[in-house]
Amino acid sequence: MKQTMQKRYELVCDVLRANIKTGRLPPGFVLLEGPIADLMQSSRAPVQMALKILEADGVVQRFPGRGFVVAGTGEEPVRQDIRALDLHISDEIDDALQSRGMWELVYDQVEEAVASSLIFGEFRIIETELGTHLGVSRTVVRDVLSRLSERGLIRKNQSSHWIAGPLTAQSVRERFAIRSILEPAALKLAASAIDYAEIAQLCKRANENAPEFSDTEDFELALMETCIAKAPNVELISTIRNIQLPINAANRALIKLGLPRDQIAVDEYRSLFALIERRLIDPAADYLENHLKILAQKSLARLKIVAVVVESKLAVPYLTQLR
Amino acid sequence: MDQFSPATKLASPAIIKTRRLRVLGTAVTLLDQVKETAETDLGFGLDFEVLDFVPCQGKAALNPNTYDVYDQCFHNLDIVWFWGSLQPIDTQRISAWDKVSDLTKRGGISRYAWRGYGDAPVKKLYVQQSDQLGSEQGRYISMLPTVYNLDSFGYDARIFGYTQRNAESWSWLLDPRAKGRIALVDEPAIGIFDAALAAEAAGEMNFADIGNMSVAEIDQLMAILDDRRRKGFFHTMWRTAEDASQLVRNHKVAVQSMWSAAYGNLGGEAPHFLESVPLEGYRAWHGGMSLRRGLDGAALDMAYEYMNWWLDGWAGAVMARQGYYFSVTDPVEAALTKDEWAYWYRGEEAQSDLPGVQGQTVVKLGGRRSGGAQLDRANRIAVWNTVMDEHNYAARSWTRFVDRVRNDAP
Repeated sequence: MKQTMQKRYELVCDVLRANIKTGRLPPGFVLLEGPIADLMQSSRAPVQMALKILEADGVVQRFPGRGFVVAGTGEEPVRQDIRALDLHISDEIDDALQSRGMWELVYDQVEEAVASSLIFGEFRIIETELGTHLGVSRTVVRDVLSRLSERGLIRKNQSSHWIAGPLTAQSVRERFAIRSILEPAALKLAASAIDYAEIAQLCKRANENAPEFSDTEDFELALMETCIAKAPNVELISTIRNIQLPINAANRALIKLGLPRDQIAVDEYRSLFALIERRLIDPAADYLENHLKILAQKSLARLKIVAVVVESKLAVPYLTQLR
Repeated sequence: MDQFSPATKLASPAIIKTRRLRVLGTAVTLLDQVKETAETDLGFGLDFEVLDFVPCQGKAALNPNTYDVYDQCFHNLDIVWFWGSLQPIDTQRISAWDKVSDLTKRGGISRYAWRGYGDAPVKKLYVQQSDQLGSEQGRYISMLPTVYNLDSFGYDARIFGYTQRNAESWSWLLDPRAKGRIALVDEPAIGIFDAALAAEAAGEMNFADIGNMSVAEIDQLMAILDDRRRKGFFHTMWRTAEDASQLVRNHKVAVQSMWSAAYGNLGGEAPHFLESVPLEGYRAWHGGMSLRRGLDGAALDMAYEYMNWWLDGWAGAVMARQGYYFSVTDPVEAALTKDEWAYWYRGEEAQSDLPGVQGQTVVKLGGRRSGGAQLDRANRIAVWNTVMDEHNYAARSWTRFVDRVRNDAP
């Protein structure tokens, strides 16, 4: 929140400074918070902050009226609506001002596409294509990319291109190894925070073969949300989510290719929830660890199918496969 | 089943004629002669769908409703099994199960035989708890072991000399004497091991586990291959035994990956183009048959009949004439002539001209199988064809390399 605001006041500051320099905002022009905030599609706080900085720099000054005036020698205050002035706001700043938060709206679909591509090899993300595909500005694209990078899905190569993948067997093996350490531990930590009535309800629905529990993915998600994520350790939960991300996406990609339902894994999840329902958390944690080890081997074997299928099935235009 | 209900019983003769079993596999085993004889012996029809290795695996995993029996290799079982497309085979319904070789059941023909790196069939043979595959013996198996072989490379003795007979080295596949006249088999779970054995034998790199290479090792191997490619070492890559024979007959190669069946068809080059017995050992592979998940009732019975028929000897004899060994040997010995058995399995001198699958002569009187007897060869397995953990990564790198060889890229 704070970071967003800081960036925003800097943007406002830049716009005002640039327009004062070119004379579009002439000496003596009265600067009022309200109209500036309106023009910049911002709240008043960043505008206030920007004006204070400009005042400290001597670019604007106080005068015996409301607001500030553009600094200059002996000019009469010029009172005019700033919105009528046709200020120059560079495209980049304009984008940035208008798109705070926009990246969050498009992020999920990009994350899913990128994460599911990893099993198919190494890809370059073409930033302009991504912008065109989503119908958003470069700034939004950059926000999306930096979030993907934070989550460990993409990296920059030597030529400063954004690169995704490949998801290697080594990475899958290591991620499962981490999961089988962290998830049972998180489950134990979560013991007192789990809503056992909710688990009982969940077990009932699962045993009735309810549609919301038709696949392993449903159980995995339920386990995460109703048990593991209840652990009172935000960093731990966030680490687990990041570790899971590419392997869950790979699994979804395999399901799109026709991976049949894994009845044995479904049965394992049912047993696991039955233990949790009875508050047998210690055995449940051991069972989960073993389940994850089996899942690791299955995942490694299943991923090998990728070498024999056509890759274009999951293609999006902004991901270019590197040869 | 419905065909025995009163309403359909009247039409039963027609229905019996249309009883058919669908078999998906490769040209290694699905031969026309096999189909014709099996249909006569079994009394039901067979539909053979013959594909190259890679598309065959893809179809078996992704379209399991298009076949009943999957006839392929143990090394690609991983993919198809864990995709949930197959069902366990009950060994109590396999009459010759007791006779199946220890090579698959225990991982080697004796306790002292080289096990070889990679996926020996025993590691994938038995269905374990939780539907996993492993070497712990049990009643249910994933694939019924059938045909197998110990592969090496072939070379022109006019280039490499006759003096190192039976002590050749895989390093010859990267040897400057064959520059421009080298070919490898283009299948990522096979050709990559020929190349890896060559690179290691040449002293250019070492693998911690050649049967399960790391990403860094794959990169290093592909860099070695690409360097040779840029220097013009490779003539081409081949996919079938017939392609391999043709390259030899047309004087295009001095050394290359070879499959046994290709040696029977070298024409005038046969006396000079020899099957190596590498110091480092053989690259082994093992075929077998699996059952589609969901196959049941009369169709499942037919599938078991068909699999049992394969172990009866006749089919094993046909395989022997291509140079392939079989998991159950006694009936094969009975089905071959004395001379054939002595040559193919015992490594003895041919006492007469020996026929191939089509009846043409593939072994001349006095010929001797390279590497000797089946037991000697099966003792020396360096690596098994394997779909490694990093198979996706390796297959992509391999495909890029093959494309560059074919396109003669800079």
